[in-house]
Amino acid sequence: MTATNAKLRSGVSLLERPAAARTIGIWIVTGLSLATLLLSLPFVNWFTLTNLSGLWKALSIPNEAVIYSGYSAYNLLSFVQQSGAGILGFPASMLLLVTIAAALFQAAFLFRVAFKRYGNKGYLQLYSTGTCAMILSIIASFGAIAYLIFANARLGITWMLPSPMVCLVPVLSIAAYVVLKAMQKTERVRQHEHGFLVEFKRNWLLFLFLVPCFAYFIINNYLPMSGVYFAFTQFNFRDGLFASPFVGFKNFEFLFMSDLWKLTKNTVLYNIVFIGLGNVLQIFFAILVSQVGSKWFKKTSQTMIFMPYFVSFVILRVLVYNLFEYDYGVINTYVTALGGSRIDFYNTPKYWPFLIVAFNMWKGLGYGMVVYLATIMGISDDYYDAAKVDGANIFQQIIYITVPLLTPTFIILLLYALGGIMKGQFELFYQMVGTNGVLYDATDILDTYVYRITTSQPLSMGLATAAGLYQSVFGLVIIVVTNFCIKRGNPEYALF
Amino acid sequence: MTGTKTNRIRKDASAVAFDWIKYGLLTLTALICVLPFLVIISGSLSDNATVMREGYGLLPKNFSWSAYETIFESPKEIINAYKMTIYYTAIGTAVGLAVIVLTAYTISRKEFKYRNVVSFLIYFTSIFGGGLVPWYLMYTNILGLRGSTFIIWFPAIMSPFLVILMRTFIAGSVPDAITESARIDGAGEGTILTRIVLPVIGPGLATVGLFLALGYWNDWYRSSMFSTSKETWELQFYLYNMLNSATAVSEMSQYANVSMDAVPTQTVKLAMAVVATGPVLLFYPFVQRYFVTGITIGAVKG
Repeated sequence: MTATNAKLRSGVSLLERPAAARTIGIWIVTGLSLATLLLSLPFVNWFTLTNLSGLWKALSIPNEAVIYSGYSAYNLLSFVQQSGAGILGFPASMLLLVTIAAALFQAAFLFRVAFKRYGNKGYLQLYSTGTCAMILSIIASFGAIAYLIFANARLGITWMLPSPMVCLVPVLSIAAYVVLKAMQKTERVRQHEHGFLVEFKRNWLLFLFLVPCFAYFIINNYLPMSGVYFAFTQFNFRDGLFASPFVGFKNFEFLFMSDLWKLTKNTVLYNIVFIGLGNVLQIFFAILVSQVGSKWFKKTSQTMIFMPYFVSFVILRVLVYNLFEYDYGVINTYVTALGGSRIDFYNTPKYWPFLIVAFNMWKGLGYGMVVYLATIMGISDDYYDAAKVDGANIFQQIIYITVPLLTPTFIILLLYALGGIMKGQFELFYQMVGTNGVLYDATDILDTYVYRITTSQPLSMGLATAAGLYQSVFGLVIIVVTNFCIKRGNPEYALF
Repeated sequence: MTGTKTNRIRKDASAVAFDWIKYGLLTLTALICVLPFLVIISGSLSDNATVMREGYGLLPKNFSWSAYETIFESPKEIINAYKMTIYYTAIGTAVGLAVIVLTAYTISRKEFKYRNVVSFLIYFTSIFGGGLVPWYLMYTNILGLRGSTFIIWFPAIMSPFLVILMRTFIAGSVPDAITESARIDGAGEGTILTRIVLPVIGPGLATVGLFLALGYWNDWYRSSMFSTSKETWELQFYLYNMLNSATAVSEMSQYANVSMDAVPTQTVKLAMAVVATGPVLLFYPFVQRYFVTGITIGAVKG
C-alpha cells in the first residue's frame, strides 16, 4: 500500500515538474491528434446509410445513380449529386470545408511537433495551432451529426446514421483540447503572455471599436464567400437558391468549353498593357513635370492631367459616344469635313482595344504620375549637382540618375499590379462598350461577362458564380506565387 | 545665387531641346486631358438642329441655352437624383469615416494583441472574394435589401485601402510615446482617441473622406444592381439611363409641354453630363492636394 502511494506521489511530483509534464502532455495530444487526423481522412466513413432500397424509393433516385452505403465528409457531395437532393448540398459543402480545415490544422500541429517547429514564443504557437485544430475537429464532428439530423428531417427518412468513427472524433478532440488548455495556461505564465479573455477584459473598448468593421466585412465579404457553392449548382426558380440540384463541376466544364479562354485572355492581356504602358507613360510624364522650372506651369499642367481621374465612368461614356458616334461624333464630323468617309466605330471591333487602352491611359495618367512625382521629389539634389559638375547633360541626368532611382518604386507598383491581373477594369469596359455584342470578341472580360449574366440571366447564375470563382482562385494563386517569389528575392517588398 | 548663374552658363543645346520637348509635350497632354470636357460643354451649348445636321465640334455650334432650359423646365427627377446622391454621399462618408477611424485606431495600437490578425483579415478581403453573384445574393436574397437606400451606401463605407491609409496617417501623426504617457496618466482608449488622436489627424480625415465622397458621387453601379424605382437612383445612374433611352427625353417633353421635334435630344444628354459633373470639377482644384497626399502615402506604404 505504502509502496503504491510512494509511487503515486513520485508520479505526481513528476507531473508537477513543468518540463516533464509538458513532454507527457505533448505526447498525449500528439497521439490524440494523430488519431483524430486518421479518423477524418477520406477513407473513413462518417455516415452510414441503412435501408438503401427504401432510400432509393423515397427520393426517387434515377436508375443510373451510384449510391454507397457509407460516406465521409469528402464524398458526401457525390451523394447529394447522385441522389438529386439539392437541399443537402450547401450544408455538405460547409461540412467539407470545415473538415478539410480541421485535417490541415491537425497535420500542421503534427508537423510542428515532429520537426520541433515551435515558433518564437516558447510553446505557445504550438499550443494555439493545436487548439485551433481541436476546435475545428469538434465543430466538424458535431456539424456532421447536425447534418444527419437535418438530412433525415428534410428528407423525411431515418436511415442516415452516424458511424462510430464520427462519434469518436469529438471525444478524442475534446480530451486533447482540455490537455492543451491546461498546458497553455502554465506556458502563458512562463512567457508573460495572456489569453483572449484577459485581453478582452483589458481592452474591451477596442473590441467594441471593431464591431462595426467586423459587421461590415462579414456581411460584405466573408459570408458571401460561402456562396461560391452556387458555382456547383444548376439554379432553378422552383427549388430556389439552396435546393437547386448540385451538379459538380458541370458549370466549369461548360465555361471551359465556351468563353473562358477568350475572357481570360482579354482580361489578362488588357491588364498587361494597362500596367506596362501605363507605368511607362506615368514615369515619362512624371519626369517631364519634375523638370519644369515655372511653378505656375507645373501646377497647371499637373492639375489638368489629373482631372480625368475625378469624373465618373458614365461621363467617360458620354465622351466616347460623343467623339466616336457615327452620325454626329466629333471624329466623324472632322473626317467628313476633310473629305473622308464616316468610320463606323461602334460596329468595328478592331478599333476598340486601342480606344480602351487610350481611355484607360487618359483616366489613370494623373493618378500614377503623382506616385512617381513624389519619388522624384525625394531624390537628393546632390546627385544632380555632382552630375552637372561632371558635365552630364539633362538627358544623361535623367537616364543615369532619375530612372535608376525610380526603379524600386516601379518594381513595387508592378508587383502590386501583378496581383490584380485577373481583376478587370469593369467600369471602364462596361461604360465604353456596354451591351454592344458586336464588340465582345475584342472587349469582353470576365467582369463584364459575370455582370451581364447576373443582371439579365438569373437561370445561369451558377455559370456566373463559376466564372467569378475561377477568377478569384486564379487571382489568389497568382498573388501567392508572386509574393513567394518576392519574399525570396527581397523580403522588404513582400505583400504579407 | 550662383546655382542659377552656372545653370544659365551651362545651358547647352541639349537643354534647349529638352525645354521644347517638355513644354510641348506637357501642353499637348494637358490639352488632351481637358479637351474632351470642352467638347461636352460646347456640345451642351450648341443648337440641337445644327448638331443633327453638322455633328459636334470643339466649339459651340450656333450657341444656345435650350438644352439647359429643357432640363430645368421639368427638373423634378434631376433634383431628386441630386438629392439622393447628396444623401448617399453625406451619410456614406460620415458613417464610413467613423468606422474607418475606429478600425484604423484599433489596429494602430501596439497594446492590442490581435492587431495583426485583424489587419490580415481586412487585407485578405482584397485578395480573395466570393465574386459578384454571392455578394449580390447576400444583399438581395438573404438580407432582402433590394430597393432600399441602405443598400446603395452601405457596401462602400470602407475598403482595405482606406483603412490602411488611415492607419498610416494615425501612426505618422501620433507618436507612440504620447499615447503611452497618456495611458500611464490614466487615460482610457476613448479619451486617447477623442482627445489626442482625433485633433491631429485632420488631413487624414479630409483625405479619406474625400476619397469616400468622390466614390459615392461617381457611383452608378449599385443603383444599376439594386434599385427598383427611380426614386432611389444615384445621379450618375440617372445620367447613364438617360443616355441609354431616348424615351427619357420624350417623357420629359410631356411634362414640359414642348412638342417632340423641338426637344434637343442629343444636346440634352451633354447638358445633363455637365450638370452631373459640375460639383466635382468645381471643387476639384481646391481638394486636389488631399488626393495627392493620399495616393502618395497609399501607394508606397499600402
